[in-house]
Formats: sequence, C-alpha cells, structure tokens
Amino acid sequence: MSLNSSAAHPNDSFADIDRQLRRSNLTTALRRLAGNGFLYFIMVVLALIFMIPLLWMFTTSLKTRQEIFVWPPTWLPAVPQWDNYADAFAKYPLARFMLNSAILVMINALGEVISVPLIAFAFARLRFPGKRILFIMMLSTMMIPGQIKLIPLFSLFSRLGLIGTYWPLVLPSFFGNPFFIFLMVQYMRTIPRDLDEAARIDGASTWTILYRIILPLSLPAVTVMLVFTFLWTWNDFISPLIYLSDFNSYPISVGLAFFQGRYGVEWNMFMAATLISIIPVLVLYFFAQRHLIGGISTLGLKG
Amino acid sequence: MWYRSRKISLVLFALLMLIPFGAVTLAQDVVTIEWWTVSSEEYSEEVQRALVDQFNAEHPNIQVNITVLPESGFTERMTATLGAGSGAPDVAFFWDNNWFPQALDLTAYIEADPDLDPSTYFEGFWNTRSVWQDKIVGLPLGVGANFVMYNKDVFDEMGVAYPSPDWTTEDYIATATTLTDPDKRRWGGDRPRGPFRAIWRNYGAFPYSDDSTTVEGYLNSDASVAAYTWLWDLVASNVTPTPADIEILGTEGTGPIDLFLAGRLAMATLNQGHVLTAVESGVNFGIVPEPQIPGNERYANAWSLTASVWAGTEHPDEAYEWLSYWVGPEGQQFLMQNGHLFPSIPAVLETHPDADKDYVQAFFAVLEQRQVAEWVNAHPCNGTVLRAAVDAWDLVNLGEIGRDDIKATLDSLVEPAQQALDECVARLGA
Repeated sequence: MSLNSSAAHPNDSFADIDRQLRRSNLTTALRRLAGNGFLYFIMVVLALIFMIPLLWMFTTSLKTRQEIFVWPPTWLPAVPQWDNYADAFAKYPLARFMLNSAILVMINALGEVISVPLIAFAFARLRFPGKRILFIMMLSTMMIPGQIKLIPLFSLFSRLGLIGTYWPLVLPSFFGNPFFIFLMVQYMRTIPRDLDEAARIDGASTWTILYRIILPLSLPAVTVMLVFTFLWTWNDFISPLIYLSDFNSYPISVGLAFFQGRYGVEWNMFMAATLISIIPVLVLYFFAQRHLIGGISTLGLKG
Repeated sequence: MWYRSRKISLVLFALLMLIPFGAVTLAQDVVTIEWWTVSSEEYSEEVQRALVDQFNAEHPNIQVNITVLPESGFTERMTATLGAGSGAPDVAFFWDNNWFPQALDLTAYIEADPDLDPSTYFEGFWNTRSVWQDKIVGLPLGVGANFVMYNKDVFDEMGVAYPSPDWTTEDYIATATTLTDPDKRRWGGDRPRGPFRAIWRNYGAFPYSDDSTTVEGYLNSDASVAAYTWLWDLVASNVTPTPADIEILGTEGTGPIDLFLAGRLAMATLNQGHVLTAVESGVNFGIVPEPQIPGNERYANAWSLTASVWAGTEHPDEAYEWLSYWVGPEGQQFLMQNGHLFPSIPAVLETHPDADKDYVQAFFAVLEQRQVAEWVNAHPCNGTVLRAAVDAWDLVNLGEIGRDDIKATLDSLVEPAQQALDECVARLGA
C-alpha cells in the first residue's frame, strides 16, 4: 500500500510539478509579456512625443502663412497646401543644393577616412620623438573657437586663390580632424598590441598592420566618424557661406537660409524645404543607427 | 603654284597665331566687377540677375559678376572678408556703419558725374546713409520705415473706428484695450521694441544734449519720464504680448508679422517689407504713422541701405559705374518695376505702380516725417548712452519697476551714462 501509494505519489507529484511548472512558465511569460508591453507602450509614447516637432513641421508645411500662428493652434490645415512643396522647389534649386551637400559629404568622408586613421595610428602605435607634445598641440587646436579661425582661414584661402571653390570646404578633411583623431587614438589603444606583434613576426609591414589589422578592428570608430562627418558637413552653414560665391554651388544649409527674408520667414515653404532636406539624414540614421549607437557606446561618447 | 599655296598657308598660320593675342587684348579690356547682394522681399535673386544682364549688355567693357547671399549670412561674410582685408567684393551693401572706414570715398566721383545728383535723393536718407565724416561713402538704396499696421477686419468686428494719422499715444492704449480679446488670445497692439524707435523721440526725449556733453536733464528729463510712463501704462494694460510671448511667437525678422497675419495682433508696428507680405496674404489692413504727442515734432524710424565701393577695389572707376547704375535712378526704377523696391529717389518713387493705393500713400506720408536716424547718425556716441535708456526700457517692459520708480531709475542711470558719454566723446568726438 505504502509502495503502491508511494508508487502513485511520484506520478501525481510529477504531474503537479509539471502543472506548477507550466503555470509558472505561463505566469512568467505573461509577466514578461506585460512587462514588455508596458515597455513598448512607454517607448511608443516617448517616440510620439519626440516626433511631435517633425509632425508639426509636416503640418506647417501644408498650411497657408496665416494659419500657422492662429489660436487655438490647429494640427491639420483647413486645405492642405501641397503646392508649398512645388513652390519651394520652384523658388530655389533645392535639388541642386542637396546634390552639392552630398558631394561635399562624400569628399569630406573620403578625406577623413584617408587621413584620420593614418594620423591616429601614428599617435597610438608608433614611437617617435615629440609624439606627446605633438598630440597635445593637436588636441589644443580643438579648444580654439571656430569664429577665431574664420578670418585667418579666409585670408589663407584667399591668398591661395581658392575662394569660390569647394577646396576650402574639403581640403582640411584630408589633413585630419583633431576630434576624430583623438577618438581614433583612444580606440586604437584598446586593441591589444599582441596582434601587431604577431603580424610583425609573420612579416607584416607597418602599413599592413594598419590597413589589414587595426583599421578593420576600428570599424565602430570609423562608423562614428563617418556619421558625424555627414551630419557636420550637411548642417555646416558658416563655412560654405564664407567661401562659396556661385549661387548654384551652395549646399542645402545655405540654400534653406534664403527662405528667411529681410522682414520675415516664409515658414510654410521653409518647413517644406527643411523636411525634404532632412530625409537623407533620417535615412542615414535609420541604416547606421546600430553601428552608430554601438560605436558611440564603445567610444564612451554617451551622456 | 606650290609656292603660292605655301605662302597663303604661312599667312593664314600667322593670322591664326595672332588670334589668341587679339583675344587676350580684348579680354583685358573687359573688367569684371564682383558684386555681393542679398535676395529679399524687395528684390529677388531673379530680378537682380536681370538688372545685371541689362547693365552688362549696355556696358561691354564691364562684366558684373553677381553673388547672391542669404540675408541672414551677409553680415558674417562681409565682416570676415573686410576683416581679412582681401577677397571683399568691389561693390556691395555696406549696411553696417562699422564697415564705412573700408568704403571708398565717392565724393570726387559724384562731383564729376553729371548723371548723379545727390539732391535728387531723399535728403534725410542721403544725410544718414551716404555721408560719413564729411565723406560720401555710398549711395542709399531703397527706403523703409516703421508705421502701425492695423487689421481692418478686427476693427470692424469690434465696431471700433480705424485710427487716424493724427492719433496720440493715449489713443493707442485706448484702442488696443478695446480690441484685445483674451478668449481668442488676441492682443490689441504691440510694444515699441526700444527707446530708439519713434515714440520716445515723439515725446521729445533724447539721451543727451545736442552738443554731446550732458546726460543730466536729458535721459531723466520730464519728456523721457513721460515716455517711460506711457510704456509703463501700456505694459500694465495687458493688451500687448509680453517679451516672452514675442520671444516665442514673434518669429524671425523685424516685427511680429506672423501674429499680425494670423489675426492675433490687431495693431502692430511693422514696415514696408511686411506690407508686401500682408498684401500677398490677402489681409485687409491699413497704415497709420506711429502715434504722436500733440504739439511735439513727429519722428519716424526710417532707413535706407548703403551701397558702397570697397576701398580695396582694383577697379574703382568701373565699380562706381556699376554702383551708380544699380542705386541710381535707372537701377532703382528697374528694381521697383520688376521687384518690390520703394526707391530712395522721390521722382522715381512717385511713379510706383501702386502709388494710388491707400497704404502706399500712407507710407509716403511717413517718409516725410523727420527721421530718428538724423540725430543718431549726427551723434557717434548715441549708441553708447542709449544702452542706459534701453536698460530702463527693458525694466519697464519686464514689469521690474513701479510707475513711481521711473524717475528714480532714470536718475540712477545718469551717472554711468555720463561716464560712458565722456569716454566715448574722447574717443570718437562729439
């Protein structure tokens, strides 16, 4: 009996345990689902809040100028003014401006990719006299405000006969950017030196070590550099304003400024043009966000 | 036969060799003038290019190369290039008085030019925008002025009579109070942006004596106290947007045009550029001068843009040729007919396509008033002392001082303002 009963008990207890486990798993799953659901809900709400300015831009771009500041504010225009987009493009060559921006971005990105890893590698890996002083000198150039450099740089490029061309806007990137160099140096220092030494034993030259080992391993830093180069070049207003003269050579940052007149801003057309102009930035961020966020957290740029 | 054809070939070859030299000689005769301008409501990029094309066609020896810059970046670019001392344009707007030392003295050119007579320009604008330290540093392009624009629909809705040109500052507060509707978030009027505007002068207030020696009795004069007290009453009436409202809703530009277009400001101190926008937007509006003080001389905050030749130009003669065409009767007529410029030459202005319209007539009437800038430009230290007046204006605007404290506040500002004036006069002269 006791055996029987003891024989029956294990089955019962297994079933109970199984039931309990199932219940427990179900509870856990439900809890997890509820937790995730709440998290997603919060994230959707936050995303919507963050999207309000974009939404406002979009609806403003479809309003008449009188509708924009009415009280109470209206989210939707009485009659959507889709013509605002056509008018904005008809008024100024926005497509041309965006193409010019894209050209500047590509050349600058190329320049940074060529120069920055090269300089950073020297600072991070090579030994040469005055390295520390040169590094500090390079870093100290980051402390000089751009406004102070504006007139000397203009004077320099003017004497070189480069005003009115893209050279002043792209040439500096081929000589490295102190901020990116600093980031890259810090990143390269985290890569174990054993890899260099192993490669060197295998007969690799310094160039091979840089381009076959260090650079591929520095991809997160390179991605961050490229994304920042894109954003900074795309949004740069003052440099193209100072150096360019031909209306058709202006980038979009300068082109958008034409919507601000002497006595006011054509907000509806300005919003239409701005919305179009940020599409490339949004697309880039959409595709590069994984690398960008990964790169930023690796480089310790967060917060 | 063979000899002859060889001879012809040699001659042809020699001629061909000479063509480039001829071309170079011709190219050297054509002078290129760099011209920087802005695209604005009054003269678009397209219209200005058309003017350049017309000039280039009429002047085969001069080629004007136009650079159109955004309004918001023109000052930065000019400051950078003038600061660098190279790369500045031959001809451009010199709208910042700080650039005048780098403008070419045009006195000799104008004296020798039979087609350009200074007396054909508005005298006030010529004196304030062309003459600097007894030199002619530029020519005044176009005219602008502040006035009060009122929304006729709002006046009709509230059953209020339109303001008349001879209205007073007290009328302004009374009218604004009637038109204000808190439920609709509509303000009756706006506040003058600073004591440099016309109303302060209309009260007879000036920052210091005309001989640039004394602040006491001027900055804190009865007239000045009366002007600040009027502002205090306007602020206390709660019928105008606060500085915070204007900061948020005022939008970029020189006046709260967007609030006016939206019907949220029944009256607003705006200018001829805003009129163009209002016309384009179909707003039913009228214009009156800024309110007056009965018995006092009436002022207008009016302006023109100085266009100059850069002193560092390599082609001063050709640069003057273009400048006098652009800002002379021909150029201003072109910009008026093809754009929206109000010319600074009365004879040309009279032929304005909309001259018969009420708002243009009202604008013309404002231009006949005395200009605030006349006194300002005659007193190089005005800006230095005006800071004290602006400080007091801001204190009233922000509700920081009581009505009875106005005199004491102005009294307290006299001493530092006097010190600033003395320092400035020693530096710049009276």
